[in-house]
Amino acid sequence: MTEFVVKPGVKNIQNKGEKLITTHCCYCGMQCGMHIRVNEKSGKVVGVEPRYDWPVTLGKMCPKGVTAYQTVDHEERIKTPLIKKNGKFVESTWEEALDLIEKNFKRLQNEHGKDALSVFGGVSMTNEKCYLVGKYARVGLGTRYVDYNGRFCMSSAAGGFMKTLGIDRGSTLPWPEIEHTDCFFMAGSNTAECHPTSIQWLWKARDKGAKMIVADPRETPTARIADVHLDLRSGTDSALANGIMHLLVREGYVDETYVNERCNNYEELKASVAKFTPEYTSEITGVAVEKIIKAAHIYGQSPRSVVMFARGVEQQKKGVDNVSLYTSMALLRGQVGKFASGVATFTGQGNGQGGREHGQKADALPGYRKIDNPEHVKYVSSVWGIDPSEMPKAGVSAYEMFDEIQAGRIKAMHVICSNPAVSAPNNNYIWDGFNKLDFMVVSDFFLSETAEFADVVLPAATWAEDEGTTTNLEGRVIRIRKVKDPIGESKPDWEIINLIAERMGKGKYFGYKNVPEIFEEFRLASKGGKADYYGITYDRIEKEDGVFWPCPSEDHPGTPTMFIDKFGTPDGKANLAAVEWEEPGEVSDIEYPHTLTTGRVVFHYLSGTQTRRTKFLMEQCPEPYVEMHPELSTRYNIQDGDNVLLTTRRGSMTVKARLTKAIRADHVFIPYHWGKELSVNQLTNPALDPTSRMPEFKVCAVNLKKVN
Amino acid sequence: MKKVMYLEFERCIGCRSCQAACRECGGHDAKERNYVEYIDFFESRQTFPMMCMQCKDPACARVCPANAIQITEEGVVLSAMEEKCIGCRNCTFGCPFGIPKFDFEENKMYKCDMCYDRTKHDIAPMCASVCPSDAIRFIDHEEMMELRRKRTQMNLIEGKKPSENDKWQYVPEFFGVYSD
Repeated sequence: MTEFVVKPGVKNIQNKGEKLITTHCCYCGMQCGMHIRVNEKSGKVVGVEPRYDWPVTLGKMCPKGVTAYQTVDHEERIKTPLIKKNGKFVESTWEEALDLIEKNFKRLQNEHGKDALSVFGGVSMTNEKCYLVGKYARVGLGTRYVDYNGRFCMSSAAGGFMKTLGIDRGSTLPWPEIEHTDCFFMAGSNTAECHPTSIQWLWKARDKGAKMIVADPRETPTARIADVHLDLRSGTDSALANGIMHLLVREGYVDETYVNERCNNYEELKASVAKFTPEYTSEITGVAVEKIIKAAHIYGQSPRSVVMFARGVEQQKKGVDNVSLYTSMALLRGQVGKFASGVATFTGQGNGQGGREHGQKADALPGYRKIDNPEHVKYVSSVWGIDPSEMPKAGVSAYEMFDEIQAGRIKAMHVICSNPAVSAPNNNYIWDGFNKLDFMVVSDFFLSETAEFADVVLPAATWAEDEGTTTNLEGRVIRIRKVKDPIGESKPDWEIINLIAERMGKGKYFGYKNVPEIFEEFRLASKGGKADYYGITYDRIEKEDGVFWPCPSEDHPGTPTMFIDKFGTPDGKANLAAVEWEEPGEVSDIEYPHTLTTGRVVFHYLSGTQTRRTKFLMEQCPEPYVEMHPELSTRYNIQDGDNVLLTTRRGSMTVKARLTKAIRADHVFIPYHWGKELSVNQLTNPALDPTSRMPEFKVCAVNLKKVN
Repeated sequence: MKKVMYLEFERCIGCRSCQAACRECGGHDAKERNYVEYIDFFESRQTFPMMCMQCKDPACARVCPANAIQITEEGVVLSAMEEKCIGCRNCTFGCPFGIPKFDFEENKMYKCDMCYDRTKHDIAPMCASVCPSDAIRFIDHEEMMELRRKRTQMNLIEGKKPSENDKWQYVPEFFGVYSD
């Protein structure tokens, strides 16, 4: 397999004594193309070179991408297994660590039953590994309790798409097409900071005159350039979407032919949006009537439009409803399944798309199959070589696993590629849960905040030390190449899973020798499912610049544009959403008078385990802060840089104030990339969406106090 | 080298990727030589990138008492030569754009060299290569002139027409850095 892939005529700098290896970034769903520079003699990673010919990003990288390579040979890497003795981690051998894991896992399962164990996965790793996590929990350990950090990230998008379109593929169109789009309606997405390399496509469209409508309580770098900035209150998205649809119906902007032929529920939708007049919508959302009307006219008149959203609308108690409503906006205009138009969510994690399709979810099996469907269980069991009766039932969602710990049903947890000690809401409850566990294993390559709670830490390999595939935010399956061998005694997650499964007496179901072997099995496991990867091979990915799923056979071209003829629902028609507006889980009152919302900054990724160890990124943004409008700060006599104590019903924290007029005066914002006393998730509200079980990170009531 | 660096300030999203990338260029000693700054964070999140203009007759070189700042045949103004630089910092004060940086530990000046190692092979400098918003580009002179005319034309499409009083508002809001 070729390591350095470049199209004819594209020039790159190749220093003497160095080789370039073509791969993708380890961070967000953009999965920017890059070449990693490796010293041929020492085998060390020494730098990065732009991959100008990768069609999605054209060599562009954000500061995280440019510095991503620095985590590979980082001095803080964990190089041997660590065992906690008397509260302190001691370096140990793999044998010792595995002995301890085997002893405890078996003991707990004997004493408390199979489901005493649990697995907490993540999606910042390859499809091959994500697929294995589900199999590891269900076959290797035989427990029903498996879930993953995608519950905090995109499960509402998945739930909303499933409801309306029948298939959850993050983007219904390939990204490079959006330069031909006439109008973007972006809700709850700070694209410029969270997916910076997508901006080039938006800017190209704007050069041609495209319009942008951005709904966000903050004037983000994306909202700054919008034609209309709908500065709504956090948690009022469903009212806004209903309000816009009210106008689409009233002003005759609905594509009646498309809706009649391809959608259900139009009459119900019309009835439910009837009362959302601009005045009523404005009252709920806090957006000026004129802005709502202007946005609806721009959006309604655009021949080609894309509705885009991200965590802002998804991380809410009504996340699935929000996604369904925004998707319905695109359907009303007849946009889904056409050129340069449709609906898209910005996937936050590197393999957020692929990782959620292949059975890491409590209720899902590979290929987007469902564990409560006997046919699906039968098929996957046949691929895994087990009896369908051995397949555990559905488990519970990520946050609810901590309820199970508190209830004493889960006794042990294996956390793989995730850091819930920072990223889960209501941190105090999570930390308490970790302390209650009888036994805890963490696989990671840095000692994360979660790993500090563990009894055993297993040194995992980074993305550059293993190969595989990921699925980017478009639904394009791409290739991650191995750049170097794992540092010290660290091992890729799939090898770790092999070893533990063997200790648990399930070696015959695992025992993989290499990654392609897992990929072959995984292709087969996804075959015939909604997310069908069967036709995708490593060779095709290389030749075709990635392959879009669904791709049922090797002669199938893949599916860059979804839903051209029909939707993924049983009757082939999309289901328009008719949803009432409802308050978020927590509303501000006299005691907690303001709204707290959280999000990312461009310099950090998720819980910051990697980016907080990168020098350049820490120089730019070393600590969290609370962003607030001067109009609000002046009421508390808070100056720029003053310490502010923020308290919610769940916890409190002190951070420095950062004043700007680019935020609503009744909201404050704190980025969430830090742990322990700097973690804003001590404050956030774990109100879960009824369908997706996603917590409401984006809205909670808070009070402020200046402290010295 | 027929290409120019082309900046379009209002595209900047403030990600500072150009600075991270600047550190990656061979010979840059992991120190960035460009700037990204907020116009006024109190008011808005608008940022802008700033880098060396590669002047035809650079003030930094003119005021250097040691003649340490060399200009390549293509017109790229280099960092002060290590063996010549006396660390007087005249260049940092002389430059009208505030570009040259001073390393107080090594007692010498350093600045943008347009990634000379790359641009001499006609490969874009690191900052322009990675800039996610195309606020910094490395393009042909002709392409730049086209882009400038296009901006005015876009204004006309949007129904604005310049008059004698406000024609300055139609001047493209960006400029190119010539190296040739």
